[in-house]
Amino acid sequence: MQNLDNYAALRNLAALVDFSNLINSTLDINFALNNILLTCLGKFHTSKGLIALLDENMFFQVKAYKGVQKEVIDNFPKVSLEDFSTNERLKEFIEKNNFEVLEIIKSTGGIKGILLLGKRLINKSYEENDISFLKTILNIGATAIENSLIVEKLKKTNRELDSKINQLKSLFELSKEFSGIIQPDAIGKLLAFTLMGQLFTSKYAIIVCDKNNFYFLENSFDEALLNLALKECNVNNFVKPISVEEIALTYKSLFDVGVELIIPMQIKTETKGLILLGKRNNNLSYSNTDIEFIYSLGSMAIISIENAKLFKEMLEKQRMEKDLETARNIQNNLLPKFIPELSNLSLAAYNNSAKIVGGDYYDLIKLDNDNLLIAIADVSGKGVPAALLMANLQAFLKSICKQMLPLNEATNIINDLVVENTTMGSFITFFWCIFNDSTKELTYVNAGHNPPMLIRNNVIYKLKKGGMVLGFLPTSVPYISETIKLQKGDVIILYTDGITEAMNKNFEEYTDERFEQLVLNNSLYEPNTILEQIRKSVEEFINGAEQSDDITCIVMKVK
Amino acid sequence: MTDFNVNLRQVKNVSIIDLRGYLDAHTAPELENIFNKLLEQKKFRVVVNFNDLNYISSAGLGVFMAYIEIMRQNNGDIKFTNLKENVYNIFDLLGFPLLYEFYKDEQEAINKFITQENS
Repeated sequence: MQNLDNYAALRNLAALVDFSNLINSTLDINFALNNILLTCLGKFHTSKGLIALLDENMFFQVKAYKGVQKEVIDNFPKVSLEDFSTNERLKEFIEKNNFEVLEIIKSTGGIKGILLLGKRLINKSYEENDISFLKTILNIGATAIENSLIVEKLKKTNRELDSKINQLKSLFELSKEFSGIIQPDAIGKLLAFTLMGQLFTSKYAIIVCDKNNFYFLENSFDEALLNLALKECNVNNFVKPISVEEIALTYKSLFDVGVELIIPMQIKTETKGLILLGKRNNNLSYSNTDIEFIYSLGSMAIISIENAKLFKEMLEKQRMEKDLETARNIQNNLLPKFIPELSNLSLAAYNNSAKIVGGDYYDLIKLDNDNLLIAIADVSGKGVPAALLMANLQAFLKSICKQMLPLNEATNIINDLVVENTTMGSFITFFWCIFNDSTKELTYVNAGHNPPMLIRNNVIYKLKKGGMVLGFLPTSVPYISETIKLQKGDVIILYTDGITEAMNKNFEEYTDERFEQLVLNNSLYEPNTILEQIRKSVEEFINGAEQSDDITCIVMKVK
Repeated sequence: MTDFNVNLRQVKNVSIIDLRGYLDAHTAPELENIFNKLLEQKKFRVVVNFNDLNYISSAGLGVFMAYIEIMRQNNGDIKFTNLKENVYNIFDLLGFPLLYEFYKDEQEAINKFITQENS
């Protein structure tokens, strides 16, 4: 009998050594659990058993089972480490499924799980030495389980690490790629591909926001519906990533289109664009790591998109500046290139545009041997529209003076032409005169222009006769002209309001009074000198402030 | 100059795309062009042979995501063959085996199309 017992103990020991060798030969958790169960089933002659291990949240999860239907396992109750010894539902589960033994799997690191075994088929119940043998098996098993769990965890961490490295690689690659692209469309496409590949989704939209307008760079949602849904949104509300729960709650219409994640693309803290993502094809939700990745990607992309936009704007600006330069050249060609020589009149003229193209115009046209036409005009507005109107005026003037009409009648016609050729609100102040070199008679019409000054014997007379500015209304009241017989030493000054309204840094104007005083002080000089004094005086007055309006001035003196 | 090459050939009614070199953000548009060409010609059965591909990035994977649905809607598919281990690992890491079929060699993938057709 003693021998028999010894023999049984020896056999048990040999089985344990075998078991230990086997179970520690691998780090595969399923292999370990399987073998623990099979060893128990074989040793105790029972047909069923299960092992449940503690998960991260300290709940027991069935990890291996034998001789039990899957439906039974599905009904395994939710039991935690704290209450498994008292849990009523676990007791019910054990009774209902005829389990007889519950044993704890415990290693040096604490409780790992529980093992349930069914009734023995040999009509014997578990005796004391059976239970102690079971405990020994489980002690050996627990270490193997713990080791393989650690390896499992390591594998998971490694995979997470790999995934992170992969994301970093993508970011790095794209940052290189983005910096070389100057078309927003291409950036959008690249971003879309990377999102699809990295996050395993085929539903996405990449949107650039401008105030509350949304432009789709890329979109695979229903465009009409998405547009409609975005109309209800204020871009300023998208300042951080928005999860599917919040979208379902707050942005119902976006949710209905299929949007499950909204990531703002920001420069500094301003939202300049959005990345919308739909369902992932692996049915996973977007993790925090994913969201961080998309956010970084978006920030990089939006800077490139903005740069591309700025680059395009710069090109356009350069092109426009070139156009203006051309306009200026054309305009300069419209102004007289030399001053005509007359026996009884000396002349000086000056023109300076505030902007690249201006609205001032003057002309000196020899009509015949005796008569010189002198004109000055200020076109309302500035820049290209003013320059175009000015070019028009010049064309009218050149053609009409060929017809040798009386000046007042010619003015009537010019006004009608300007009215026909301008849009609402544009007008021209205009003064022109004809000087007869043999009779010294000056005939003029003033259409709303700053009255030119005639200085005779230190007294200023203003040349005001004429009519309304050009371009407001078709001629109904005809313009009138005046003829003055000039005398030797008379000075006539034609100018635009750029002189009298010239402004210094304190926003003070040069004023008519200052101009008149200057002119009186200098009326004895020759035209060139007078003009020089005017320029100097205005320049000194504005003292470095930006010239706000075009300046044109013509000085004549009768010899 | 990135080293990437894509070649298209036809085996029966299956289109084979051979990839060579590095498929990344820079070269992805070339592959995209090939897929667009296939769509134009209404060829929806595609096998991608990765035998000579050394590297793939997310943007490269994205191209396959962009075309899988349309291929399947037209009773076609995109199947992958001859992947080097490092290339397969990237697919695996991002969960592609859930959605795509991977084969050891090209003929296997072609046969799969043919048996699907006959069934």
